[in-house]
Amino acid sequence: MSSSDAAGIGDRVSDLEIAGAWVVDPTTGREGPADLAVEDGVLARLDWHEPTGATVGTGIVVAPGLVDLHAHFREPGFEDAETVATGQLAAGHGGFSTVCLMPNTDPPVDEAPVLATVLGRAFESGSPVRVLAWGAATRGRAGAELASLGELADGGALGFSDDGNPIESGVLFRNALVYAAMLGRILVDHPEDRALTKGAEANEGLVATVLGLRGWPAAGEEAAVARDLAILADVVAADAPGARLHLTHLSTAGSIELVRRAKGARLPVTCDVTPHHMALTDEWLAGARRFAWGSGRGNPWEDGAIVALPFATSLRVNPPLRTRSDALALLAGLRDGTVDAIATDHAPHTQVDKEVEFGFAATGISGMETALGLALAAVEAGQLALVRAVEALTTGPARVLGDVPMAATGRPVAPGLVVGQAADLVVLDRADGWEVSARSLRSLGKNSPLLGMRLPGRVLATVAGGRLAWLDDEA
Amino acid sequence: MTIELEPTASPTTMPQAAAREADASRAPTADAWKHRHVLDVDDFSTDEIELAMRTTAEMKEILARPIAKVPTLRGRSVTILFYEASTRTRVSFEVAAKNLSADVVNIAAQSSSVSKGESLIDTVRTIEALGADMIVMRHAVSGAPYLAAEHFSGNVLNGGDGWHAHPTQALLDLFTMRERLPGGSVRGRKVVILGDILHSRVARSNIWALTRSGADLWLCGPATLLRGFERWAGATMPGSARFTVASSIDDALADADVVMALRIQKERQAGGLLPSLREYTARFALTRARLARAKPDALVMHPGPMNEGVEIMPDVATGRQSVITDQVTNGVAVRMALLFLVSGVPLVE
Repeated sequence: MSSSDAAGIGDRVSDLEIAGAWVVDPTTGREGPADLAVEDGVLARLDWHEPTGATVGTGIVVAPGLVDLHAHFREPGFEDAETVATGQLAAGHGGFSTVCLMPNTDPPVDEAPVLATVLGRAFESGSPVRVLAWGAATRGRAGAELASLGELADGGALGFSDDGNPIESGVLFRNALVYAAMLGRILVDHPEDRALTKGAEANEGLVATVLGLRGWPAAGEEAAVARDLAILADVVAADAPGARLHLTHLSTAGSIELVRRAKGARLPVTCDVTPHHMALTDEWLAGARRFAWGSGRGNPWEDGAIVALPFATSLRVNPPLRTRSDALALLAGLRDGTVDAIATDHAPHTQVDKEVEFGFAATGISGMETALGLALAAVEAGQLALVRAVEALTTGPARVLGDVPMAATGRPVAPGLVVGQAADLVVLDRADGWEVSARSLRSLGKNSPLLGMRLPGRVLATVAGGRLAWLDDEA
Repeated sequence: MTIELEPTASPTTMPQAAAREADASRAPTADAWKHRHVLDVDDFSTDEIELAMRTTAEMKEILARPIAKVPTLRGRSVTILFYEASTRTRVSFEVAAKNLSADVVNIAAQSSSVSKGESLIDTVRTIEALGADMIVMRHAVSGAPYLAAEHFSGNVLNGGDGWHAHPTQALLDLFTMRERLPGGSVRGRKVVILGDILHSRVARSNIWALTRSGADLWLCGPATLLRGFERWAGATMPGSARFTVASSIDDALADADVVMALRIQKERQAGGLLPSLREYTARFALTRARLARAKPDALVMHPGPMNEGVEIMPDVATGRQSVITDQVTNGVAVRMALLFLVSGVPLVE
């Protein structure tokens, strides 16, 4: 990789040439060695080498800029945990050129002026990472009445979500779905049956039983997914054929199976999974540190897998880390297309909110910078093809959004490597890993259970809309 | 489950009588003690359990003296930090520490919420700055003592955390059983823990201590209060015997050697886990008639505090087979033993 001038974040990429990189283009499914060049912010050349039967490149890889459907940048209200600007820097470091923010700020994004503030911050930061936003589905995210959905849509909201909270009332959920459909927007639900998860601390199962943690049963998610799908079917048949439902951070094998069947019945539903639910398991709470696809049968005591202290609060997340078979079911869902996207649910928290007793700790993992590394770890383990992992982080989420970004903001989300268009890509080195640490994470949220571990795939550069969103110091 | 593997300070010296016995048999020596903290018994080796038992026996000898006090921990400061109401365990630790001549500071703290008041870490740092060498801690949240241990340079002893663990209770229960059972061992003995298993840290620590000691452990109670334990019973835990989970009290009590009833709380009714305490008593209370299914000399235990007439009948609690007051006395001895073992100081007579 060569670049003529010293460049900083936000600068237009004047001249970047990469020779012999392994290029992955999920729009065509093509991958292989190629040379490419960016000139004055535009992808000027992409020359694929003659097919030589070369095996998948393990060195420099170039892919379209990643798209995150689900992130929390905490501004306004919790700027000590993250700001839009620090979130954008973390996005660049993670290889993301587009992020969609959740509305659980303080005040929440349930009125258009708050949305305008958030989008304004992204513009002012100088980062080229494109920030899109979901509006709240209900006022105050309180689940009692609809938020200002039409005004939020006019202000550029992609759709609506009370993320962090489910919409508990079935009738309000139905009305939000119908009203969002009228506006041409998507409803994103965080499926959780609160009666089943009250006070819950960890996945209900062997680990929670042994550690004396209150269980969050799989049924707490699956009952909500089943309800959502039943109401969706009803709405699509009766009132609003254009209704669109997206289920975020699905975590159980049963949820994936419900969505698989719903898709089979041609219901307009999409879903995402997080990197942590796909790669980690509840065994980590007991002190194990092995990936879901590693050895073991879900009992970390049986085979000496415990290498760390139990009760690490960086692992407290909602929904909770599940079992090995759940995680493997998420990966299977990614392989067969049931799962449309990998979304980070990047949830930065301050030390004050995390360095407390497990049951008092805020839920969430700072995950935007480790998402690609966990996906590549799954690729290395043979769980995902490289092109499928890239797809789930680029064209997959773009398909979930569909024509909504165009309608909402006048610009599509269309990841791809198209000569003549503004360059939007990530350059990473699969041969080089990096250590996750409080220093290496650019997010203000250091609440990662991966601190101290090495992940594959150092991001050398992220280019968003022709401008630099990240440039590795050593690149 | 501590991962601390470093011995604390200077090599521990055993009480003399125990040391004599150690010479005579294959009994574990003081080097067997690996724990800086006592957070749970799940990672105690059988040697460490043996050492704790032998040291407890020594301490019990001291308790039998006219003046039950030794200068072992003179100049050491023990802070008892309880975030949950408790009389029995708190006083037991306090008496234990004072019998060893430690200075004792009592702190009763509130733990209702993280947003109110001082954080646990700040409290621990403050206690350390005030000169504490050991913290004995009780907390309503599972795992809290692990957080304290991470931020304290001395020793942490868990006096009960959430539903998770109550290691000193499990060791005093084990000691009491070994003291009273013919042969002095629980190996192969049928031990029944009866009641609200789900919410019980006593049950969880006893599972580790008793299965590791080879007991034939049975957990019995209403199915709603046993949720999840079937999976634990079916899991392989190296070095531990399997245990049995049953809702049939008749099956559980048949030919039992030990029956331990647990406290049942009124909140279980409001929480929808039980139709009523009356129904619990009718089906699961330890009555004289039910106890007759067990062996004639079966031991009756209860970690306290008891709801007499609810989970255990008064005539059973105070009857011939009851060792409930032994548990209280042994609790002091076990806590003396553990304070001594983690301190790393030689026993001074």
